[in-house]
Amino acid sequence: MPPSGLDVLFQGTNFLRLLGGLWVAARIALISMALSVLLGVPVGVLMTSRNRVIKAVTRVYLEFVRIMPQLVLLFVFYFYVTMILRVNLSGETSAIIIFTVWGTAELADLVRGAITSIPAHQYETGYALGLTPLQVQMHIVLPQSIRRLIPAAVNLVTRMIKTTSLVVLIGVVEVLKVAQQIIDFNRFTYPTASIWVYAVVFALYFITCYPISLLAKGLEKKWALSSQPSH
Amino acid sequence: MSTTLKRLAIGAVTSALLLGGLAGCGGNPSSNSSNSFNTLEQIQAAGTVKIGVFFDKAPFGSQDSTGTFVGYDIVYGERIGQDLGVEVEWVPVEAASRVAFLETGKVDIILANFTVTAERAEKVDFLNPYLKVSLGVVSPESGVITDISQLSGKDVIVVKGTTAETYLEANNPEIKLTKFEQYTEATSALLDGRGAAWVTDNTEALAWSLQNPGFTTGITTLGPQDTIAGAVTKGNTTLLKWLNDELVTLGTENFFHKDFDLTLKPVYGDAVSPDDLVVEGGKV
Amino acid sequence: MEPELLGEYLPVFARAAWLTLWVGLTGIVCAVVVGLACAVVQHFRVPFARQLVSAYIELSRNTPLVVQLFFLYFGLPKLGIVLSSATCAIVGLAFLGGSYMAEAIRSGLEAVDDGQSQSALALGLSRGLTLRHVVLPQAVALAMPAFTANIIFLIKETSVVSIVALPDLMYVAKDLIGTDYNTREALTLLVAFYLVILLPISLGAGKLEKKVRYAAFGS
Repeated sequence: MPPSGLDVLFQGTNFLRLLGGLWVAARIALISMALSVLLGVPVGVLMTSRNRVIKAVTRVYLEFVRIMPQLVLLFVFYFYVTMILRVNLSGETSAIIIFTVWGTAELADLVRGAITSIPAHQYETGYALGLTPLQVQMHIVLPQSIRRLIPAAVNLVTRMIKTTSLVVLIGVVEVLKVAQQIIDFNRFTYPTASIWVYAVVFALYFITCYPISLLAKGLEKKWALSSQPSH
Repeated sequence: MSTTLKRLAIGAVTSALLLGGLAGCGGNPSSNSSNSFNTLEQIQAAGTVKIGVFFDKAPFGSQDSTGTFVGYDIVYGERIGQDLGVEVEWVPVEAASRVAFLETGKVDIILANFTVTAERAEKVDFLNPYLKVSLGVVSPESGVITDISQLSGKDVIVVKGTTAETYLEANNPEIKLTKFEQYTEATSALLDGRGAAWVTDNTEALAWSLQNPGFTTGITTLGPQDTIAGAVTKGNTTLLKWLNDELVTLGTENFFHKDFDLTLKPVYGDAVSPDDLVVEGGKV
Repeated sequence: MEPELLGEYLPVFARAAWLTLWVGLTGIVCAVVVGLACAVVQHFRVPFARQLVSAYIELSRNTPLVVQLFFLYFGLPKLGIVLSSATCAIVGLAFLGGSYMAEAIRSGLEAVDDGQSQSALALGLSRGLTLRHVVLPQAVALAMPAFTANIIFLIKETSVVSIVALPDLMYVAKDLIGTDYNTREALTLLVAFYLVILLPISLGAGKLEKKVRYAAFGS
């Protein structure tokens, strides 16, 4: 294996372009995640409702988004919904919207799980102590829910970053597309570039996601321990 | 469960649903999508024109090591931008999404080696042509394909949404097609021995096999002679007319011969005469 | 929407659905084998192999399948290893799914009370027999929810195998959009077929989960 395969990354601005591509992917993931948190919390609260209609609507939304492959959702939105709505959205905007629709569903379900996991006696104790419903929410339910929620939400960030690798298929120029361009442009000078460039993209995704996974795991351990006495 | 929180949540979600619903009702999918394109005036007022080009199809449209778009289609597009008096925003497209990009208004013009066909003409408005083309078959020198019958039962590589795919499916159903989204993927697959041949426009076939030792275009003309033209969204008549007039102007200065010398000649050398490919003034 | 077009495309999509299912199920079976091997290595704390397994799990969980597939299909030939499209897809799914299955099985194994194995060992059962008759049956029941979630996850992930030229549902949809330009019909069938495949699995998983949970709690 000639070492020249890896050298291709240090030609011109190739490595910087690759990092730029990674940033495009990360930006999509981060914006979508932020929007998912904003929308997911109220939707999650809504999911705990006893109203049948609300229950049915949120359930169908959650199931549909979970069952459909994200790539299918992306395609339907990018090639079809934009045509019906007569709006012109770039691949990146479409990706952010679809990732937010998906992330909101996932996060809302986590919020729902966290809220319903708080046993009823805690509410009752709160009320018995003379706290208002809002105070019970703020001081008893939320702090515990958040601890259960955050590790899973952090995990969702890594899932989102990994899923950004799909946006190349709706024409967004991100890290994979840049990789293909570099490989193609240097086909004659570096015929074995593809294995090296794809290995580097693989490594870049790993370097981005691994620390976040570690953080999620750490939080899970820490809070699992400290919330033990409350059971 | 706090009722205040719940009310807030219900408010937020129902308003979002309502908004979505309203937007959804606004469009009747079968009617002519009158808002999905920018007219000539809108483009000039906005100061940018979005042109969809290939990014992986040298020497027609590709990106160099700094990410700059280069090639035959790009030179044409740059001139359009210049004469419109606007900036050009290059939008990389894949073969199979060219029609969809125009239909959804993601680009104003497609200049991506777009062969004129009757099916496509139902969906987009083609300009007058600027290139002539038919199909070509690239194969490794170790197993040169000189006749289409040699491909019977073999794996043949094509790019999705190209005329090569449509032609072979209609005329040679005995050939097994392996289809890729992108040119880079198709050519990598050919280099890795994943097919007996790659069928594509003869312009690209010649260019690619001249650049890649070990490969040759064993069949240089297959199927009917077609033309390549730019395209705009169906119904965008103002832009269409301007672009066709532009082609006439460019014809008077032999623009595409110059474009050929600049971008294609370095690849083809003397193997191809410009008059075999180039169309001036929009008239074959 | 033109109904006759839907009828015309139906057989094309049906064939593609078989491919999606075939690749998905083969990939899942391989992933279970990989996952089981990894879980056993971790459970018995096999020296050296254990570190290797941890490294593999982290690599697999923190990289996307698309990148794994590009590497297998377009990268490996440069080392002289040319795998077919189907092989790449199955190897990719096994590499990705193996770590998820390993985690599911491991969590099941850990959830079985240690006292039970010790009692079994004290009763004279060998380690192998203890694993087979005492620990695994319960572990499988406990791991079931994670397990079925992984199955759905992996079938969904097959939607990217079209990048290595496998004619699955996504591939034919994109192909029809690109050649016939009947975007609406192609995408409608795409969504419908994924629903037909995944909805029963999802509903069935919910039912199964309730059943085995009862079994696990009943033991």
